[in-house]
Amino acid sequence: MMIVFHFSLLLSPPLLAALLTYLVRDYRRWVGWSNTILSLISLGAALGFVIRVLVDRHIPTWGLQLDGLGLQDIFRVDGLSALLLICVTTISTLTLVLSPGLGKKDDFSDRPLRQYYISMNLLIAALLLATVANNVGVMWVALEATTIFSAFLIPFKLTKASVEASWKYILINSVGIALAFVGTVLTYFDFVAIAGEADNALNWSVLIATAPRLQPEILKLAFVFLLIGYGTKAGIAPMHTWKPDAYGESPTPLGAMMSSALFAVAMYAILRWKAVVDTAIGHHYTDTLLLILGVFSLGVAAFSAVQTRHYKRMLAYSSVEHTGLICLGFALGAPGLFAALLHLLNHTLAKSFMFFVVGRIEDRYGSNAIDRVRGLGKTMPWTSGLFTAGLLALIGLPPFGLFTSEFALFRAGFSLHHPWLMVVSLTLLAIIFVAFINHLNHMLYGLTPAGVAIGETGNWQLVPLFLCIGSLVILGLTLPTPIALLLNQIVTTIAS
Amino acid sequence: MNDLLFSQLSTLVAASVLLFGILLVWRRSLLAYIKVFQWQSTMLTILFAIVAYFGNDPKLYWIGVLLFFLKVIFIPRLLQRFLVQIDVEREVAPYINTATSLVLTGVMVLLAQAMTNPLIRLITLPTRNGLPFAVALIFIGLFVIITRKKAFTQVLGFLVMENGIAMLAVLGTFGIPLIVELGVFLDLLMGFLVMQVFVYQIQGTFESIDVSKLNQLRY
Repeated sequence: MMIVFHFSLLLSPPLLAALLTYLVRDYRRWVGWSNTILSLISLGAALGFVIRVLVDRHIPTWGLQLDGLGLQDIFRVDGLSALLLICVTTISTLTLVLSPGLGKKDDFSDRPLRQYYISMNLLIAALLLATVANNVGVMWVALEATTIFSAFLIPFKLTKASVEASWKYILINSVGIALAFVGTVLTYFDFVAIAGEADNALNWSVLIATAPRLQPEILKLAFVFLLIGYGTKAGIAPMHTWKPDAYGESPTPLGAMMSSALFAVAMYAILRWKAVVDTAIGHHYTDTLLLILGVFSLGVAAFSAVQTRHYKRMLAYSSVEHTGLICLGFALGAPGLFAALLHLLNHTLAKSFMFFVVGRIEDRYGSNAIDRVRGLGKTMPWTSGLFTAGLLALIGLPPFGLFTSEFALFRAGFSLHHPWLMVVSLTLLAIIFVAFINHLNHMLYGLTPAGVAIGETGNWQLVPLFLCIGSLVILGLTLPTPIALLLNQIVTTIAS
Repeated sequence: MNDLLFSQLSTLVAASVLLFGILLVWRRSLLAYIKVFQWQSTMLTILFAIVAYFGNDPKLYWIGVLLFFLKVIFIPRLLQRFLVQIDVEREVAPYINTATSLVLTGVMVLLAQAMTNPLIRLITLPTRNGLPFAVALIFIGLFVIITRKKAFTQVLGFLVMENGIAMLAVLGTFGIPLIVELGVFLDLLMGFLVMQVFVYQIQGTFESIDVSKLNQLRY
C-alpha cells in the first residue's frame, strides 16, 4: 500500500494543479503559487524514490492484476528512472517558480495564463508518467502526449512565427514518435512470435529478461525505427530541424522545459531501448549507430552555431551539440555511459537556467536577434553576468559541471580506442566555442539601443538562478556521493 | 483450411487498405481525400474483425468498434466541417507531380516488400503476407506529408500513416496490450484535434493553409 501512496504523491500533484487551474474560472495569482507548491510535493516524492533505490536497494514496482489490460507492474522506478525523476521534478519546480503570472504586474491576460498553467502541468504529468512507466508502450503514449501539450504552449503569443514553429513542431514530432511506435510494435511482434501473446510483454523488465531469445533481425530493424522516433523527440541531427524554430519561438518557461526535462526523457527512452537491444545482440550495432549520429549532430551544431543570428536559436544549436555528446557517451561503454548520464544531469540544469536568463534579456530588449542586443553588460549587470557564466558552462569550461562530464566522456572515448572520432569531436566543439564567444562579445559590449531601460527588475527571480549556477559550480568541483552512487548503480544495471 | 482462408482474407483486405492509400497520392480534391480516408478506415475495421474472428481474440472487436467510431465517423465529420469553413477545394501543385508520385509510390511498395521479406521468413503467423502492405502504407503517409503543400493534406497523410501502424500492429501481433491501444487512440484523437486547431491558426494568421508560406524562420 505504501508504494501506491508514494507513486500517487509523485504523479498526482501536477494533475491536481491542472484541475485546480481549470476549476478556478479566472486566473488568480494564488493559483499560480499553489501550482508551484504542489510541484514541491512531486519533488519530495522523487527524492523519496532516490532514497528507496539507494538506501533500501530495491526497485519500487506497482501494478494491477487485471486480465487483458496489461497493467501488471505498470510503474517501476529503478536507478535510471530515479535520476530522471530528479531532473524532471527539479526543472518543473524551477519552471513554475519562474512562470509568468506570479509577480504583481504582467502583460498577460487571464485566458492565456490559465491555458498556460493547465498545459504546463499536464506536460509535467506526462513526463513523470513516461519516466516511471515500466511498460514501454505506456512510455510511448506519455511521450506522445508531451508533444501535444507542449505544442499548445508554443503559440502563447499568437504571431506568424510562433504558428509556423508550432506547426513544424507538432508535425515533425508526431511523425517521429509514430515511427518510434512502429519500433515498439516490431519488438512486441518479435516477442509474440517467440513467447506467444502476453499482456506484460511490453514491460521493460520482462523485455530485458526475454531479450536473449528474441530474433536479432527484427530487433535491429526495430531499433532503427526507435532511434529515429525518439531521436526526433530528442533532436538528434538530422531529425533536429524543429528544434531551433520551437525553442526560438516558445515562451521562456516552455523553452526551459523542452530543452532540459523533455529532452532528457527522450534520451532516457533511447537508453532503455538500447539496453534491450544490447542484451539481445551485443552492443556493437547500437554503438555504431549512436556514434555516427552523435558526430553528425556535433557537426550540424557547429556549423549552425556559426551561422545563427538569434540567441534563443543559438541555445537550440547548443542543445543539438549536447545531444550529440550524450549519444557519443551512450556508445562508449560503461565509463561513457557514466559520463553521459552525468552530462545529462548537468545539461538539464544548465540549459533550463540559460533559458530563464535569456527570457529576461528578451523581455528587456524585445527581440530575439543577436544584432539588436548591445551593451548587455551595462543594461542588466547581474543578468549579463549570469548569461556569461551560463554560456561558458554550456561551452564546457571549468569550473562548471559540464566540464567534468565532457572530460570524463572524452577520456572514455580515448581509452576505448576511438582517438580519431574524439579528435573530430573536439575540433567541432572548438568551432562551437569560438562561435559562441563571438556572439557573446557582440551582446555584452557596445551601446544600449535607445528605448531600452537600464537596471535590473524582478530581482527575486535572480535568487533561483543563482542557486542553479551555484549547483553547477558544485557539480564541477566535486561529485556528490549520492549522485556517484546512483550513477554507478545505473551503469551496472544498464551496461552489463 | 481455416488458416488458408484467414491468410487469404487478411491479405486481400490489407491490400485494399493499401490501395486507398495510393488513391490519396493520385487524387487532388480535398473532399476526395476525406472519402478515401473514410473508406480506408472502414477496410481497416473489417481487417480487425477478421483477425478477431479467426484469431479468437474478442478484445479486438472492441478495438475495432472504437476505431470505427473514431476514424470512420468522428474524424471524417470534423474534417468535412473544416473544409466548409476554410473554403479550399483542391491541393495546389505539390512539390512532386502526380505521375512521378505514383511511380515513387510503386517503388515504396517494392521497398517495403524487400524490407519485410526477412521478417516474413522468420514467422509463421497466417497474416504475415499483409505486413509489406502495412509498411508500404506508413511510407506513403510519410511521402504525402513531405510532398504536399496544404496543411490539411499533411494532416491526412499523418492519419493514413497511423492507419498503416495500426495495420502493422494487428497483422503482426494480433493486437497490442489493451492499455497501450487505448492510450494510442487517446493520443491520436488529441493529436488530431491539436493539429486542427493549428490549421485554423495557420489559416487565421497567414490567410491560407499553404505550408510553403511557412518559411520565415531561418538561422
